[in-house]
Amino acid sequence: MAELSLQHLEKVYDNNVQAVFDFNLDVKDGELIVLVGPSGCGKSTTLRMVAGLEDITSGKMLLNGKDVTNAPAKDRDIAMVFQSYALYGHMTVYENMAFSMTLRKENPNVIHKKVLAAAEVLGLTEQLNKKPSQLSGGQRQRVAMGRAIVRNPQLFLFDEPLSNLDAKLRSATRREILLLHKRLNATMLYVTHDQTEALTLADRIVCMSMGHVQQIGTPLELYDSPANLFVASFIGLPPMNFVDVRVNQGTLVHEHFTMPLTQAEQKALAPYEGKTVVLGIRPENTRVGDEFKLKVLSNENLGMNTLVHGHIGPNGEGERITCKLAGWCDYKPGDVVSITCTRKHFFDKETTNAIPVEVEA
Amino acid sequence: MTREDQILKKDRMLYTKDTLSANLVLAAIVLDALYFVSIYNSDVGTYYYNWVIGASIIYNLLFMLGAFLASEGVKNRKNGYSVMLILLGLMQIGRVFYLPTMAHEAVVTVKKEELVVMGDEQFYFVVACLVISGICCCAAAVTSYINNKTLADYVRSNEKQSA
Repeated sequence: MAELSLQHLEKVYDNNVQAVFDFNLDVKDGELIVLVGPSGCGKSTTLRMVAGLEDITSGKMLLNGKDVTNAPAKDRDIAMVFQSYALYGHMTVYENMAFSMTLRKENPNVIHKKVLAAAEVLGLTEQLNKKPSQLSGGQRQRVAMGRAIVRNPQLFLFDEPLSNLDAKLRSATRREILLLHKRLNATMLYVTHDQTEALTLADRIVCMSMGHVQQIGTPLELYDSPANLFVASFIGLPPMNFVDVRVNQGTLVHEHFTMPLTQAEQKALAPYEGKTVVLGIRPENTRVGDEFKLKVLSNENLGMNTLVHGHIGPNGEGERITCKLAGWCDYKPGDVVSITCTRKHFFDKETTNAIPVEVEA
Repeated sequence: MTREDQILKKDRMLYTKDTLSANLVLAAIVLDALYFVSIYNSDVGTYYYNWVIGASIIYNLLFMLGAFLASEGVKNRKNGYSVMLILLGLMQIGRVFYLPTMAHEAVVTVKKEELVVMGDEQFYFVVACLVISGICCCAAAVTSYINNKTLADYVRSNEKQSA
């Protein structure tokens, strides 16, 4: 497989719109990297630059140490799976999968062996004589993946491959991609706007916004130690709650509550004494307690948990937040619940960067 | 070819179309088109303007339709189309003895001048078109039959093995 190095990649379109700014990434052999971010953040443009479908305005791209920055797409030995499958409707599954090798005039028996092996891996053996129109969305996406697999490329690129599938199928296909990655031990670059896909699939995640890389790290790093407000708000479902608080002599002061800080938190927030910082609270890091009051707006029972939406303060005058409380709760709108945070995140209000807190032993 | 290659070749037939047979039939259609274009281009007074040419036009249309259907049939490895192709092939060869032969032997008077309806050059050309077209149809039928039989035998042996 392959190691990929993207160095200071930038993309400026003809109309002077810059889509990607100073993108740096080193992908190790066999690694599955997920590029995640909202629509228009430059993740697909980056992937298309890697594939050779977009020119690289500046920067360098090395594949296995070889400079392929200006190499045409056909010479890069990279396979791409598109959101829209891009299958030939008049060809059978077998023909679709064999097509690229047929064009390269490979031995038909070799093509046959590769197609059957890929079909076996993807569970498509029974569908080989069917046309794409006779397949479900998930099966079509597997055919598109099969077409990539048979080429045995150095690098696999996936451009939102699950976006056209319904929720159940998406989950099943996601598991298949994960198994496929483990089985092939292939180097993969995967683009999605769905953070669940990113968290479940990735060895490392690249979180992007407005063409800039916001953070690169493992799923746990992005979830547990987001680099800034954007990453904190993007990763996690329901998203993290943000509340402006003032640091005052070892406590966090809000209009409706005062919260004590641990030693480590006090140490981290010492430079912010008297200043306002952003307190980030993940909904799942809350429980019924006594740190602040929440006036309930609505209640969503999920079975094992209940999402409680409300405003901070006994009269509901504070910020709107969401808490994910354990068990089945039956709060009515207007009820007041006492909440405690089990884990806090802090962000600089001006730079939006995270204020790291050393984990206490 | 090794034994493994032979088996792979048969196994491939399970998933691929019989393009050789189909292409032979398409070639037959093209040759038939060359035949009738040559005939209809002839300018020899009113020789062709009778019911024979009308029937010929209709037959050509039917031939092309039938041959195209047969081409799709053999491409998808359907057995019955081999018989149809043999019949179409024999008909093509048989046609040599009707219009081309008649026209080759006929002489017409145009502006008080005696003209040969179909000269030797045109005659040999149209005969070649019809004969090769017929041979293509028959060859497609034979290759299709052989391929289908090979595939059927292979499937049967596979079923026996799995049973």
